Amino acid sequence: MSILIDKNTNVLVLAITGRAGVLQTKTMIEYGTKVVAGVTPGKGGLTAEGIPVYDFVVEAVRDYQINSAISFVPPRFAKDSCFEVIDNGIEFLVITAEGIPDHDAVDIISYAKLKGTRILGPGSAGIIAPGKSKLGAHPSRVFLEGHVGIVSKSGALSYEVGKTLTNAGIGQSTVVSIGGGPFWGLTQKEVIKLYQEDEETKEIILLGEIGGRMEEKAAEFISCYVDKPIISLVVGKSAPKGKSLGHAGAIIEGTKGTVQSKIEALSKAGSYIANTPKEIVQIIKQIREK
Amino acid sequence: MKLYEFQGKRIFKENGIPIQKGNLLTSVEQINKVPPPAVLKAQILSGGRGKAGGIRIWDGSLEISELICDMFTKKIKGEAVAAVLVLEKVEIIREIYLSITFECEKATPVLIVSSEGGVGIEEIAKKDPEKILTILLDPFIGPTEYQIRYIAKAIIYRNYQELKNIIDALYKIFKNYDATLVEVNPLVVTPKGMIALDSKIDLDEKSYYRHKQLYDSLLKEQRALQGIKKDFKKFELDTISYIPLSGTIGLISDGAGTGMLTLDLIKDAGGEAANFCEMGGITNPEVIYKAMEMVLAKPGIESLLIVLIGGFNRMDEMAAGIIKYRKENDIKIPMFVRMCGTFEEVGKRMMNKAGIPTYDDLLEAVNEAVAVI
Repeated sequence: MSILIDKNTNVLVLAITGRAGVLQTKTMIEYGTKVVAGVTPGKGGLTAEGIPVYDFVVEAVRDYQINSAISFVPPRFAKDSCFEVIDNGIEFLVITAEGIPDHDAVDIISYAKLKGTRILGPGSAGIIAPGKSKLGAHPSRVFLEGHVGIVSKSGALSYEVGKTLTNAGIGQSTVVSIGGGPFWGLTQKEVIKLYQEDEETKEIILLGEIGGRMEEKAAEFISCYVDKPIISLVVGKSAPKGKSLGHAGAIIEGTKGTVQSKIEALSKAGSYIANTPKEIVQIIKQIREK
Repeated sequence: MKLYEFQGKRIFKENGIPIQKGNLLTSVEQINKVPPPAVLKAQILSGGRGKAGGIRIWDGSLEISELICDMFTKKIKGEAVAAVLVLEKVEIIREIYLSITFECEKATPVLIVSSEGGVGIEEIAKKDPEKILTILLDPFIGPTEYQIRYIAKAIIYRNYQELKNIIDALYKIFKNYDATLVEVNPLVVTPKGMIALDSKIDLDEKSYYRHKQLYDSLLKEQRALQGIKKDFKKFELDTISYIPLSGTIGLISDGAGTGMLTLDLIKDAGGEAANFCEMGGITNPEVIYKAMEMVLAKPGIESLLIVLIGGFNRMDEMAAGIIKYRKENDIKIPMFVRMCGTFEEVGKRMMNKAGIPTYDDLLEAVNEAVAVI
């Protein structure tokens, strides 16, 4: 099994008729994702890439069994649209928008927790279970079905590592991008917990970056609850202090949030530490040879 | 957007938080006759101005104009003084720290309070963290009565209603103005009750669209005080994040994570990046054109490295932007483009036709960009 999604995941696409929505719906369907319906207010009754479009989520869930959704809704409309998904009891929601106002992001995550919807993002590049399904814009050829679980803040970095693994013939069970922060629905720790419980996942890759304390929190969890091999790559060691590097959460303040502090914590928790994607491949090969 | 103290205090006053009486001076000439003693506070955006000489007490022994003139002429924490607040001196019984911000890891608002406020709050946070109380708030409920009673007990303050009014007003500002930080340090206890002696407010620029009038007027006011004469430009929210660095290799990436990885790989290969420039994951030909413009504008760049691994981001569009830039501008330095991801065949074909080689392997592109220097 993969985590969070599999080949039976029925997907609702929000803002399906927008520029990103149309293109990504197409690539998701081509990959084999079961996209069953879409929502764009005011566009109900149309179809997009052959998928029926509804005005409201409640209308889509009336006609289809839907357990997951991916949102391409622009930041300023994101909150209301996410509330609608959450109110309709959809279990899993991927939010791709970057630049959602902080108060809205916090409201979305809090409301989702209250009602039991799992949120991936905001600012998530999505999730892919190679060979099964994907919710997101992943360049699918860089991924291969297999047994390594990846959790990454950055989408592009997860592609980079996926590509390096795939080129080396090492497949992935699931690849999850949680977003660049500063607020997160699913965290590294929660995704690692899912990988630990997933039978198909043999090794776990943690792709972290400077800023915050999420990697340290993940390390605490790893040292207590994870017995699968973990390989960590934390980027940003040559980043200047006090500046956000592309991700709002990627900022070193004082001595907090440095690569060194994260690597120390992860290493102490028993994680292998890699400095480049290629080193991850070497480490996995060594682990598997044992 | 950070606000000046006087801007924040104006918002405090409008929302019923007591502040001192005083005047804002934008130049020395504006001094009114005030009786000593008075507190003079330099208006700058950086924190820690008290320790840097930005707050002076006027006791009447010197001419007040001398002190104010001195403040306007010198830089405090590297910042020109935009204005000076002249405030009545109040009798302080004790100082409290109070703020509302976000607890990022838990994605929830948090109220932070300490019975020992003032300039030493950072020290207290380091030495006696137990003296600082952090209370997580529900974003849909805000501070509850029991939480405020708990705070009143912790800071040993008897007037519950007065404290509640201040906390409720602070939360209202936090929520209604889309603030990411509302801080009062110190909130002082005087014989006449509590007064906010300082204010620190950060507004979330991502929410600009719902506060256009307010944010524009605050920014306009700031620009006027800073002497920025050119046309007042509104917030420019684009997805490019650009940070200048000290090296010679120009770097553009289409993701923050790969951008940071590349920064590290450049260093490992013995090079030094001239900048960090990340376009965001969803982009188009105009964005990469602009990114190239920004990066190449910096003098001393000896090679340009563009790292693309597109998901949302389409390689045909990236190729179009790069080719257009090269056609319209004279690029004298070598350029290394790693291109893969969505529509990479089309992108690579376009690049090939234009005579720009592309790389598939990140490390190879990095090594060549470093080796050429």
